[in-house]
Amino acid sequence: MSGPPARPVSAVELIRIEGVSKRYETASGAVDAIRDVSLAVRPGEFCTIIGPSGCGKSTLLSMVGGLVSPDTGRVLIETRPVTGPDPKRVATVFQDPGLFPWRTAVENVEFGLEVQGVGGKRRRAVATELLGPLGLRRFAEKYPRELSGGMRQRVAIGRALAVDAQILLMDEPFGALDEQTRVLMGEWLLDIWRRTRRTVIFVTHSLHEALALSSRVVVMTARPGRIKSVIELPQGYPRLMESAELVTLRAKLWSEIRDESLRAMGES
Amino acid sequence: MNIVAIRAVILVAILALWEIAARVGNPLIYVPPSAALPALGELLRLRSYPDLPEHLALTAQEIVVAYGLAVAGGLGVGFALGLHRVLGRAYGPILAALYAVPSVVWYPSLMLFFGLDAASKIAFGFLLGFFPVTLAVLAGIRQVNTHLVTVARSFGASSTTVFTKVMVPGMLFTLMGGLRTGLALAVIGVIVGEILGSKSGMGSLINHAYGLFRTADYVALVIVTLVLIVASDAVASLVERRARRWTA
Repeated sequence: MSGPPARPVSAVELIRIEGVSKRYETASGAVDAIRDVSLAVRPGEFCTIIGPSGCGKSTLLSMVGGLVSPDTGRVLIETRPVTGPDPKRVATVFQDPGLFPWRTAVENVEFGLEVQGVGGKRRRAVATELLGPLGLRRFAEKYPRELSGGMRQRVAIGRALAVDAQILLMDEPFGALDEQTRVLMGEWLLDIWRRTRRTVIFVTHSLHEALALSSRVVVMTARPGRIKSVIELPQGYPRLMESAELVTLRAKLWSEIRDESLRAMGES
Repeated sequence: MNIVAIRAVILVAILALWEIAARVGNPLIYVPPSAALPALGELLRLRSYPDLPEHLALTAQEIVVAYGLAVAGGLGVGFALGLHRVLGRAYGPILAALYAVPSVVWYPSLMLFFGLDAASKIAFGFLLGFFPVTLAVLAGIRQVNTHLVTVARSFGASSTTVFTKVMVPGMLFTLMGGLRTGLALAVIGVIVGEILGSKSGMGSLINHAYGLFRTADYVALVIVTLVLIVASDAVASLVERRARRWTA
């Protein structure tokens, strides 16, 4: 196996999702977003959730982030139940970077620290130090409207990294980017993840992203979202997509997702 | 040609046309610039109306108080209706309906309630300034990007923090527009109030000159009042531009 030494995969669970369900009331009736989902995530893991549109991936992520509360079941982080956002332990990156347009790049990165009451000098220092690996050193004083899509998402990732939470939730963070930028951002994220040893839950539609980045891929069914299967990936990076092992895994993953995507398409 | 020169052209053209039209017609009614300017000089040297400073100060004072109340009331009511769903649904439509009524119909009642002195002018200025501020707050709140609120909450922001760090900056653009319109309308309210019935203030002087057919003095007084209005709007536009540069 090539690449740096493997992460110590601890058997201890950092996040434990226990039988959560969520139903939304809409104008056209109740919709079961997810039903009875259980999942455990190990510390330091890069866990990807993949599934057809509308399968409740984002809802599941919001539950871990404390932004949505489950109708049944519960989410535990280090054995403590999640009751609301906990920025000391969990930071989220959304598909829409959601940068504050009246703040410069560096001020956006500082936001979480500012909310936590970290002093001005200290948070500027933390944010400035992050801008380097984000590739944004020269863009610190630029406003979001002056940045490209990829840069904006890197600022959003920087904002999430700045609070130094152990868990990073990423909801299709590269979904709005073009294919090339997407692949490069994936490589960049992998590098950040391996250096900072965060625990990542990553939601995506992309088979390539799932195979290139994850330690483990969780496939969800079409609505109502349930866990269909969990696929462990080999530990080395970078992943060689042409290797026999990856080609086999890709075929397996695709066959799992294909049926669900067809069902989701038939429904809409 | 620069902007100033282009503006000067239209100004000179208007003054020239005005002069010609006034001389062809009745100079007493149309007051040509050649008569208005000397009258303005007399006014500013405090010859025609020696107590001009007191009247000007009173009007300015009424404007400041009326606008201050309009801003306080508009922000208070706007945020109450905008942030409280039930209150907003209950009173929002009533507010919009009231805004559609030409405000001047309320003025006689205001005079009855508050008398001929400053209070009724302040009340009318408040009434006119209050609506644009309130409606701008309501529009501004609707404009706040809810995704940004979600992002802030995910970082553990409290309701107060969401309000100060996301909502206020997010709506500032719209809010400043409403505050500026509110000022313009509060000024109009005070001066119209004075003209409709008062014993002091710029409006009362205008009435006096007009009533005595001192038309040149009347035009001079209008010019002084205009300067007061334009100056207040210039300050407001400066503040507005500052805010917009910050949030845009």
